[in-house]
Amino acid sequence: MFLTRSEYDRGVNTFSPEGRLFQVEYAMEAIKLGSTTVGITTPEGVILAVEKRVPSPLLESSSIEKIMEIDSHIGTAMSGLTADARTMVEHARVTSQMHNFTYDEKIGVESCTQAVCDLALRFGESVEDDDALMSRPFGVALLIAGIDEKGPQLYHTDPSGTFVRYDAKAIGSGSDAAQQSLQDAFHKQMTLMEAHSLALKVLKQVMEEKLDENNVQLAQVTKEKGFEILGENELKAVIETLAAA
Amino acid sequence: MALYHNQPMAHAQEPTAAPIEHRFNPYSDNGGSILAIAGTDFSVIAGDTRQSEGYNIQTRYARKVWQLTDKAVLATNGFAADGNNFVKRVKQRLEWYEHAHHKPMGLKSIARMIQTMLYGKRFFPYYVYNILGGIEEDGSGAVYSFDPVGSYEREACRAAGAAQSLIQPFLDNQIYFKNQQPEPGSQPFIPGNLPLATVLSLVVDSFTSATERHIEVGDGMEIYIVMARDRTTDDLLGEGKLQKGMEIEELGTLGEGQGERTFLVRQALKRD
Repeated sequence: MFLTRSEYDRGVNTFSPEGRLFQVEYAMEAIKLGSTTVGITTPEGVILAVEKRVPSPLLESSSIEKIMEIDSHIGTAMSGLTADARTMVEHARVTSQMHNFTYDEKIGVESCTQAVCDLALRFGESVEDDDALMSRPFGVALLIAGIDEKGPQLYHTDPSGTFVRYDAKAIGSGSDAAQQSLQDAFHKQMTLMEAHSLALKVLKQVMEEKLDENNVQLAQVTKEKGFEILGENELKAVIETLAAA
Repeated sequence: MALYHNQPMAHAQEPTAAPIEHRFNPYSDNGGSILAIAGTDFSVIAGDTRQSEGYNIQTRYARKVWQLTDKAVLATNGFAADGNNFVKRVKQRLEWYEHAHHKPMGLKSIARMIQTMLYGKRFFPYYVYNILGGIEEDGSGAVYSFDPVGSYEREACRAAGAAQSLIQPFLDNQIYFKNQQPEPGSQPFIPGNLPLATVLSLVVDSFTSATERHIEVGDGMEIYIVMARDRTTDDLLGEGKLQKGMEIEELGTLGEGQGERTFLVRQALKRD
């Protein structure tokens, strides 16, 4: 490892002779350590589900915030270094408000995702009187869910600034197994409730602790009500359907 | 002798009260007039083509009305150089928007963007009165009018420019039915529902009358008609629908096209 990666993983913007940016690749590794996060698109809307790791019974689980609102019609769930996501969510919120102010319309989900990704590669050694750059790549991946005139959409962004649209996507530590389960169970005509159940079912498979209303969080974006994080009672109801099945 | 209490020529020797200053005035008023009227499923935007400064006519054909997208037409009036430059910048922003968001900008979005562009120059304004006409997302005809610093409003009709004070009261009466009473027992008046033929003759009458009474209006007239998708064009293209001396052309679609159609009608106005 030291033999092949020496020197070229020092500078954050230095390509290796094979054409790789090691710091960006390492940032992608950081996501694989994060908690599992799932997103599913349905004709009614998009759902997001995250595992909240609660390492101590003394920890107030409601203080863990892994799903955030970007605008009334867009939400995001994250995995990796969640503190980095705050910068990205802040940027996304400002961009969508600016869009609404300038064009008197809601920003498109893809445009919002693009705005977040534009930030991703603004790291490196800053030159004098350059705007202060970020020192390293973001160590976080986002699932951005939203509804616009093109319908419900789910996007995945990573530290390289690439974004891809998915019907259903899992990221984080359990993503390999979770993605496989999604692929087996997903179908295009899923109802919102089926998607909620599937997301929790998938999380349950990959979580170490027993899934309950304290260690998962569910959110949805629908045409009618926009983005909302499900309350404790709604979450409990979904978990019950899971136990019944 | 009291009349000559002061020496008759005394002021000639007195120094001037203040030094003479020469200030550059970056603005000019190039006359002309524009107007727009909205129908249920069409919008008409018109302007004359004379450009003048004082008593001099600079050109008898200067454009004041511009097709922006398949469903939006912008008319500018005031300082022609500012107007031309403003239209250029609006078109540039429309292109950037299309690149960024993969769709043409809607009419209400253009209206809001024009507001932010005008207000962005709040302390060195574009000396331009804008009127935006076109088809809204829901297929209805719309007119938006602006002041030079970006205050804007959606309306059924608006006139601006040199002959605003001549044309607007006429439109208030004919479009908004001001000072008119419906006949007892008949339907109440609703502005913005007139048929295209009526609207076109109101536009022509507005400009021929303004030409008679205002020295800065005349030479020629350009009328843009934007029609909603799936709307019949018989009332414009049909036999004998246009007045004598009118020439019509259809302007091709600018983007992918969602069925809106824009026509340009030209007519001569008196040149005196």
